[in-house]
Amino acid sequence: MKLYAYCLAEGLDTPPNTPGISGAPIKLIQVEDISILVSDAEMDLVPVTPENALAHAAVVRSILDQTTPLPFRFGTLVTAEQLQNYIAAQKPALKSKLAHVRGCVEMNVKIIQQSTGSEDIDEVIPRGPGTAFLVEKRREILGDERRASDAAELSTFLHQSLAGLIKDEQIILRPAERLVLAAAYLVERLTIQAYREKIAKTIGDRPELHFLVSGPWPPYSFANIELEFKTHFGVT
Amino acid sequence: MSTFDQVITTDEWENTDISLLETLDHVLNRGLVIAGEITISVADIDLIFIGLNVLLSSVETAQEVLRKRHEIL
Repeated sequence: MKLYAYCLAEGLDTPPNTPGISGAPIKLIQVEDISILVSDAEMDLVPVTPENALAHAAVVRSILDQTTPLPFRFGTLVTAEQLQNYIAAQKPALKSKLAHVRGCVEMNVKIIQQSTGSEDIDEVIPRGPGTAFLVEKRREILGDERRASDAAELSTFLHQSLAGLIKDEQIILRPAERLVLAAAYLVERLTIQAYREKIAKTIGDRPELHFLVSGPWPPYSFANIELEFKTHFGVT
Repeated sequence: MSTFDQVITTDEWENTDISLLETLDHVLNRGLVIAGEITISVADIDLIFIGLNVLLSSVETAQEVLRKRHEIL
């Protein structure tokens, strides 16, 4: 029998009533002072369906009012022994991560641009195939540079706007794509309202941008997955 | 806290769609991984939100995890 693992947390006494994957009841496993929410899983593969993904999210979220969990990624199937070994091997890192996110939630900002911006670089009328190629190449280079610069400016703008309200941040810039910036901020629960007010002002300051703002979330973005690969297998 | 009442968008999309997308982005794309133990299926996926690359990048990430797993084992 495998276990489907949802999250780790501190200070849980009882499992939540929220049903898990396939409606399975949630069980609480205690390894020393770390609590793990799991459910029995009679499967070797977890299909990616809206129902399963939402069930995973609902279980993790169900304890967010009590504590700040450290979520596992969707699809984590383990034996009880593997889970025990994982906790034992990773305990210092997991305790450090739990301490880092304690009292906090994740808040997200995504910025979506109307176009990728390559079409409005200055127009030059090509006079032959060679010239057309060079003009196109020039447009491409100028576009890349400008998009990278614009994306970096957005990141700095957000960081400065939220100064003093964020404990940590994870920023992904994709200058060439419509979803140009995806930011995850670790915010103390006590400052959520101030954060929201600041975000509202920030949105108002940049009416030309499309914002997608969400939260609070369990701190999915602040569980470092690279650490596990390095620690277990010595590879990056 | 509800999953679906925490999203604000300045765009024209339906908030419920965005909420589902955001949830999928978090659940599929982020979180602790016990190396070698992610076993998800991306077959039969019928919830792709075409037009944004969030979910696509999530699937790509899942495939990357699986690829790393095969390289390691």
